[in-house]
Amino acid sequence: MTDSEPIVKLENVGVCFSQRQGLFKRSTFWALENISLNLYHGETLGVVGGNGAGKTTLLKILSGILEPSVGCYTNPGFRASMLTLQLGFVHNLTGRDNAVLSGMLLGQTRQQMMAKMDAIVEFSELADFIDQPVRTYSTGMRARLGFSVAIEASPDILLIDEILGVGDTSFRAKSTAAMKTLIVSDRTVVLVSHNHAIMRELCDRVVWIENRSTCMEGPVDEVLTAYVKSRLP
Amino acid sequence: METEIAKTGILVDPLQGKPLPKTHYFSLLLFKTYLDLRAEASRTYLNFLWWIVEPVLYMGVFYVVFGLMFKRGDGPDYVPFLLCGLMAWKWFDSTIRSGANAIQVNAALIGQVFIPKIFFPSVTIVHNMVKFAFVLIIFLVFLQYYGLGWNITYVALPAILVVQLLLIAGCTFLLASIVPFIPDIMQVVNYALTLLLFLSGIFYSVDSFPEQYQAYFYLNPMVSIIEAYRDVMLYSQWPDLTSLSIVAAVSILMIVTGAWIMSRYERVYPRVVL
Repeated sequence: MTDSEPIVKLENVGVCFSQRQGLFKRSTFWALENISLNLYHGETLGVVGGNGAGKTTLLKILSGILEPSVGCYTNPGFRASMLTLQLGFVHNLTGRDNAVLSGMLLGQTRQQMMAKMDAIVEFSELADFIDQPVRTYSTGMRARLGFSVAIEASPDILLIDEILGVGDTSFRAKSTAAMKTLIVSDRTVVLVSHNHAIMRELCDRVVWIENRSTCMEGPVDEVLTAYVKSRLP
Repeated sequence: METEIAKTGILVDPLQGKPLPKTHYFSLLLFKTYLDLRAEASRTYLNFLWWIVEPVLYMGVFYVVFGLMFKRGDGPDYVPFLLCGLMAWKWFDSTIRSGANAIQVNAALIGQVFIPKIFFPSVTIVHNMVKFAFVLIIFLVFLQYYGLGWNITYVALPAILVVQLLLIAGCTFLLASIVPFIPDIMQVVNYALTLLLFLSGIFYSVDSFPEQYQAYFYLNPMVSIIEAYRDVMLYSQWPDLTSLSIVAAVSILMIVTGAWIMSRYERVYPRVVL
């Protein structure tokens, strides 16, 4: 699985934000200071760390939304994007139009999304509602459609910020199962989670981020044990 | 080379690792515009008839104020004179008003997925272009009924339309690229557009001013464009190609500058707009 070269490499990456505080006053703060990690093809890499450690910023670097201020980010052209539900949804449009639009924003072609429509309708259990405007949907229906599209349009490298089950109890079980299947499959996944049981179940390796820097990278048990120990008073 | 690809953010096919054709964002642009137009229409009872009713109301307001109340329309052909200017102005005004903060209003999307920022003002431009097409057709029909029919100079009309499109794209791109950094510009834009409305020779002819002031009016590119439309549609004259060429050249320069700023700060916008 972790054969040869990493497909994505971060070396001493830092991100600096500059914020306006007054008319001429600016302050800078580092959202990430010194992050190094390797991502190998087909693996599931877990990320742990306290609140404000920089986990979400890390995912934004990996998905190409932000650019490192310092350090080196190597990606030979693999498309990575965050698992986001209801990306770009327009509430006056039908579920079908929104599904295609969302998929295209994630880099799928219109034809690819059309071909996936049947699977999306079936998985989301929307049936005829797919051709109704999204504004008429209940929150649960919207979440189900969003999840189905995200799963169907997921790219080569999938970045997940906490595993989310959505909808009612039965759909929650189904969506969590679908996500697990996706993670276990050949796909490369970066998973941020606070649920250590799920991480032990799904991850191949874990990176621990603390104070906006890489603290430890290695086997799941080893890193999680060290992380938990550091949290104890 | 490898990092180069990552930096420019070219999409690659998930399974093959090859870049998707560059036309992806173009087809996304067309699809998004089509959906936005439909969403906009579906919000109202009259649906897409509003694309016709709204400009008619807009022009009606100015006709009542300037054509009837102030009696500016001494000449017999004041109505087509006024409408011709308003038609061109409305296209310019509405695109810039909604396009200048196109990157900002899409902040949520920008924070979730990588999309070239030039995509957002482009959607506004195409969207308003489609709506303008309706206005133009209605105006042409109106001219026919009014008795100002087709003439040979209509050959130049597509060129004027292209020049105006370039001007609109130039202003929109340039503003959209800067507004996320300095949101205050939006306030200025609104007032500047209102001022320009009265300085663009829509309600009056620039010729009616003393000669020594006329040159200043032509610093405003909309004056040249509106005069070109009038030359063709009202007076059956060839438009002044020199001034149109100058407008086109300046517009292209603005388009290039705006596009350059947007690509230069591609990954900075998500930090700024959130």
